[in-house]
Amino acid sequence: MNFKTQRVAYPYFVVALLLFALQLVMGLYIAFNYFYTVPQEVVNVFPFSTARAMHTNLLVLWLLLGFMGATYYTVPEETQSELAWPRVAYAQLILLTGTGVAALVGFFFGWTQGRPLLEIPTTLDVLVVIGALMFLANVAVTIFRARRFTAVQGTLLAGLVFLAAMYLFGMPFYENLAIDWYYWWWVIHLWVEGAWELVTAALMAFMMIQLTGVERKVVEKWLYVELGLFLFTGLAGTGHHYYWIAAPRYWLWVGGIFSALEPLPIAFMLIDTWRSMRHSSRPQPRLTWVYVIGMAVLHFVGAGLFGFAHTLPQINYYTHGSQVTVSHGHLAFFGAYVLLNLSFFYFAIPRLKGFPEGRYDERGGHWGFWLLSSGVVGMSLAMAVAGVLQTYLERVQGQPYIVAQSPIRFWMMIVFLHGFLVLGGALVVIKHLLTLRPAPAPGR
Amino acid sequence: MSQRAAKLIFWVGTLSSLALFLGMTWDTHRSFAALTHADRLDANVVAGKRAFEKYNCNDCHTILGFGAYYAPDLTRAYKRLGEDAIRLRIASPEKVLAGSYRKMPQQHVKPEEIDRLVDFLRWVSDIDNHDWPPQDSATRWKAATRRLIGGAAMSPGAALVAQENCLSCHALGDAGEHRGPRFEYIATRRDAAWITRYLADPEAMTPGAVMPAFGTLSESQRRSVAEFITSLADRSTP
Ligand code: HEC
Ligand code: HEC
Ligand code: HEM
Ligand code: HEM
Ligand SMILES: [Fe+2]
Repeated sequence: MNFKTQRVAYPYFVVALLLFALQLVMGLYIAFNYFYTVPQEVVNVFPFSTARAMHTNLLVLWLLLGFMGATYYTVPEETQSELAWPRVAYAQLILLTGTGVAALVGFFFGWTQGRPLLEIPTTLDVLVVIGALMFLANVAVTIFRARRFTAVQGTLLAGLVFLAAMYLFGMPFYENLAIDWYYWWWVIHLWVEGAWELVTAALMAFMMIQLTGVERKVVEKWLYVELGLFLFTGLAGTGHHYYWIAAPRYWLWVGGIFSALEPLPIAFMLIDTWRSMRHSSRPQPRLTWVYVIGMAVLHFVGAGLFGFAHTLPQINYYTHGSQVTVSHGHLAFFGAYVLLNLSFFYFAIPRLKGFPEGRYDERGGHWGFWLLSSGVVGMSLAMAVAGVLQTYLERVQGQPYIVAQSPIRFWMMIVFLHGFLVLGGALVVIKHLLTLRPAPAPGR
Repeated sequence: MSQRAAKLIFWVGTLSSLALFLGMTWDTHRSFAALTHADRLDANVVAGKRAFEKYNCNDCHTILGFGAYYAPDLTRAYKRLGEDAIRLRIASPEKVLAGSYRKMPQQHVKPEEIDRLVDFLRWVSDIDNHDWPPQDSATRWKAATRRLIGGAAMSPGAALVAQENCLSCHALGDAGEHRGPRFEYIATRRDAAWITRYLADPEAMTPGAVMPAFGTLSESQRRSVAEFITSLADRSTP
């Protein structure tokens, strides 16, 4: 850590990690509902729907808090100046966490906007927007005051502005269901396959420069190519969600072709990361590389391969809205954004704590990574089996939903069991990160 | 590759895709009115959509294939179940689904909200979305029925269905109404014995069912009706 105000990042990381654990508990509850007949009295009070809203909103909240913390860590370093308003950054954390908690309590009492992943009621949305504006202003002012513009922070700021702008499309009430979903995807798809990828590319580039000492010029050149590919495929690729919403037929072509190319930039990022590691001139703790490479690989598998598997309209006609989607959703979110956040935490926390050369005691941390990752991979594979079964029984054979679900319940139990690996791994990671110690002196 | 070329890739890639995307967005907006039959999208339908959001139905059910995957897709629920069956399931899920391994909460939805939800689902069921979902594809159902009716002489069951005027509430092939479930859909999940008993006393099998009892029919008549219905299950893949 070279700048005092980078310290504001740490409480963001802590809150993010705690919310992560809560998210997983909700995940276990909804998976349980899939194979066990929860009695009507319980369903009336705490149904699947409420718990699912909590599970997904916690996910989005903690990932975004992680990104914000990571940005507050990165910007002073990139601008070579202190953050403009550190106190505002703390206030923003309190505001956003408070809004998140209010939303969760509200869900329990049925206060919801009722649209999947965007359940936060409009009143609270306003608070989210205020928090986002505080954040963007803080970052922008820091950059413009310092007058030091780098491609990395330009990408980061552009990605964050893009992210915040898209959120606005999810706020109004749309009368027409088709138009509602049209813009719902401007939030969800243009986030995960647009804005968030920009943020990821920027944070990865920043970490690579710091971790390996590769030349900034080289990193930035490939950053431009990567971003161009992401946006070229990702913007028009939104069409892969417009096949069956009462939109014109040409979306089948445009969505299919552009989204089929979406794995390319992700593969590019994987190769780039691998090469940087091989050419690294600075030794780093092994665990840092385990996370960074783990992220690049599972990002490619979850988003690139699992995404490609159901993106062509001929296949999507049968898999759309089945457990196949859930399988991809989990592995992609985990590989790309959960592991990005955790990688960044492992990169930043030792530096924030002032450990020499950012070295830390890795013991215990490896267990966390492997438990967590094998848990999520196993869970996603079980979901994929459930999804293929559902596709065949319900969509191809034409069995009624509830009949086709009965053999699927077994696979959801397997999902549930893997959930314990995930939760266990996450607890190990959280404990390790929050009690990180300096590397033991050599020879001891 | 030079820095210049890299920047060029960025700008050309981004702007070309953006232009295409925004252009198609504009054109899609022009098409939505016809494809979704926006002329039928009245205040009742909008009120139904609000109720759908108020009770968070979409975090258990998909609609247009989006949402949670915990319960049946509702895009064509109106065509599949009919409005009286939908009403009953929203009003008293604890009774209708008492025997099911998966429950839907009793949310005390107000009667007028239930009417609006039905209006909403009726409107949704008509939108033109390239015939998704496949399991509810009307072309597929009707094709199976046409084959059956075309291939055989009128069976005694079919004659009874006509005589008792079942199609004043149920849909079959191109004919009928949407108050109760489509016959082809019933055929995918019920067997003849079940239907034979059901026709004599629907209330005993589905508490609250808005389906008249046909106790006037003899057991063998009810059986032939049931066999006619189950014979519709022969649905080959499209
Ligand atoms: C907690 C989850 C949950 C919520 C919330 C929920 N449902 Fe359901 N619903 C179910 C389940 C599960 C079934 C299927 C049970 C079965 O068939 O055994 C079902 C069945 C139905 C059916 C019958 C579908 C069919 O094809 O048989 C309709 C219609 C329906 N729900 C409408 C609604 C509406 C409208 C709402 C909102 C007011 C709603 N549901 C809220 C879980 C839910
Ligand atoms: C007044 C309208 C009406 C008439 C006439 C009618 N039905 Fe029904 N029927 C319904 C409704 C509504 C339901 C759905 C009940 C429920 O909510 O489960 C139903 C349900 C059924 C079911 C059970 C579906 C299931 O899977 O649970 C069968 C079988 C059936 N009807 C057959 C018939 C036959 C055969 C006739 C003619 C002899 C007939 N119905 C006449 C309204 C009608
Ligand atoms: C890190 C990047 C990605 C993340 C986090 C992600 C996540 C998700 C999630 C959560 C959904 C489900 C949304 C819902 O309906 O509730 C989804 C759907 C989908 N994703 Fe991705 N995704 C990513 C990248 C990709 C890529 C690169 C492709 C294509 C190559 C892809 C193809 C699809 C398709 C086709 C669907 C629709 C599934 C359906 O029809 O039900 N995704 N994605
Ligand atoms: C304890 C581990 C977990 C379990 C048991 C679990 C289980 C589930 C279940 C059952 C659903 C509901 C799917 C449906 O609607 O039918 C769901 C949704 C979701 N979960 Fe998890 N989950 C876990 C962890 C995670 C993690 C780590 C992530 C992020 C990487 C995540 C992201 C999501 C997302 C994005 C959805 C919405 C999916 C969609 O709309 O397609 N979950 N989860
Ligand atoms: Fe997408």
